[in-house]
Amino acid sequence: MTTTDPIVATFTISSFEAAKEVYRQKDLRQALYDEGEVVMGDVLVNLHGDEHRKRRRVENRIFRRETFDHYERDLFPQVTEVTVAPYVAAGGVDLVQLGHELMLNLAALTAGIDRPEGTAEETRRLYDYMQWFIKGATLAHSTEDKPALAARIQRALEEWDEEFLKPSVARRKTALAALEAGEITENDLPRDILTTLLRGNDELALPAFALRREIAFFLLASAHTSATAFVRSIDHILGWLADHPEDAERVTGDPMFVQRCVHETVRLNPSSPVGMRWALAPVSLKSGTEIPQGSKVVIDLHAVNRDPEVFGPDAAEFNPYRELPAGVGPFGLSFAAGIHVCIGQDLAAGVVPRADTAPEEHLFGLVPGAVRYMFNQGVRRDPADPPQRDAQTQRPYWGTYPALLG
Amino acid sequence: MGYQVRVDKDVCISSGKCVADAPAAFRFDDDEIAEPTTGASTLSGDLLVEIARNCPSGAIRLFEQGVEVAVD
Repeated sequence: MTTTDPIVATFTISSFEAAKEVYRQKDLRQALYDEGEVVMGDVLVNLHGDEHRKRRRVENRIFRRETFDHYERDLFPQVTEVTVAPYVAAGGVDLVQLGHELMLNLAALTAGIDRPEGTAEETRRLYDYMQWFIKGATLAHSTEDKPALAARIQRALEEWDEEFLKPSVARRKTALAALEAGEITENDLPRDILTTLLRGNDELALPAFALRREIAFFLLASAHTSATAFVRSIDHILGWLADHPEDAERVTGDPMFVQRCVHETVRLNPSSPVGMRWALAPVSLKSGTEIPQGSKVVIDLHAVNRDPEVFGPDAAEFNPYRELPAGVGPFGLSFAAGIHVCIGQDLAAGVVPRADTAPEEHLFGLVPGAVRYMFNQGVRRDPADPPQRDAQTQRPYWGTYPALLG
Repeated sequence: MGYQVRVDKDVCISSGKCVADAPAAFRFDDDEIAEPTTGASTLSGDLLVEIARNCPSGAIRLFEQGVEVAVD
C-alpha cells in the first residue's frame, strides 16, 4: 500500500478526544514513515504488535527514571556548559546550529555512539551524518529529488556504520565480555541504548542492518526533535517576555516555569505536524465514524493540540499559565499516545509535575534544562540579523536563528 | 475509594511509568512486565485514575465491584 494510491480512503482527525482514541487503537498501525524507509524501515516506531512489544520492552530497560536522573544530574549539565562556552565567549551563536550540536552531544551519549578522538572535526562528521538521517526520516516532507536523496542517505548510513557504529559496538561487546568474566561490574557498563540492545540481542536477534537503523533513528530522533524544541522554546519565551517582562526572573530562576514554557511550545509545535495510521481491520470510533480496513487515518496534530474544547478559546496562543483539564498533558498529543508514545518523552521534556512535586527530586528534562541555561547566558535576538525559516522542507523549522549571548 | 487494579500483561510495554509514579503500588515481574502490588488498594481512586491515564499502552485497567471504570 502506498500513500499515492488514489483509491485509499483517508480520514482526518482534528479533535483531541478522537486523536487519543486513534492512537490507542490496536488495529491502526504506524504509517508516518512509509516514505522514510531508508532510515526508518524497521525501527521501533515503525513496528507493530508482538514485534513492537518485544523490542520496546527491551529498550525500556534503559528508559527508566533512574537513568534519566543520572543523565540530567550527572552528565548533561557538564556537556551543556562545555558545548555552549565558546559561543558565550564569542558573544553570539546561531541557535539552530547550536541546538543540533548540543543535542547531538547529548544524543550520542544516550544512543551509545562514541567519539574516541574527542575532536571538533570528529563531532562535525557525526553531525553531518545525522543531518542525512534527519532528511531520511522526514523524506515525506522533502522538497528535493526523493529517490536521489534516499540513495545518498543509504550511503551515509553505511559510512557512519563503518566509522562510528562498528567501533562503538566492539567496545561494548568487550565490556559485556568483561562483565561476563567478572572483571567489571554492572556500574562499569555504559548506560546507553546500544549497550541495552546488545545485551538484549538474545531476545531480539537483530541483524546488523536493523541495529544500524535503530541506533541511527535514536540518534536523529533524540537530537533533532530536541534541537527544534530548543530553538522554538527560546523563540516563544522571548516573545512572551516582550509582552510579560515581569516573568524575566522566572526564566532564569524557576525551572518549573521554564519546563511549563517548553511544554507549551511543544504543544503548539509538535515535532511532526501530523500522525498517520493504516487500518489493519475495520475500526469504529466513539464518535460513530467507521474506518474501513485499508484506510489511512491522518491525525492533524496542529489542530488537535489547538482544540478549543480542551485548551480554551486562546488555544492557538502561547500561554505558560494555561489551565488544563484533568488527564490532558500540557504538551497535548505531541508525544503521541498508546504504544508509540515517545519513548524519550520524560528524558526530553521531563515528568509533568503534580501539585505535591518537590523541585529537588523533579525530573525537568534535557530541553528545559538547556533552555534555562541559555537564558542564564543572556540569550536574546540579534536585532541586526532576524531569524529565517528553513526553505528545504515543508515542515515549519527555523533555518537560522542568530542570537546574542552575554 | 480505591479500585481493583489489573495490568493487561499482553498490552504492557514496560514503560515503567506506573512503577516510577507509584512504587508502592506497582512493580515489575520477572519478565519486566508491570503488575500491581497489594499497595495498589491503598491508593485513592483519583490517583489510580491518573496513573491509568498516564499508562502509554492503556494496560492498566480499574474495576469497581467487578465493573470496569472508564479512565479516559
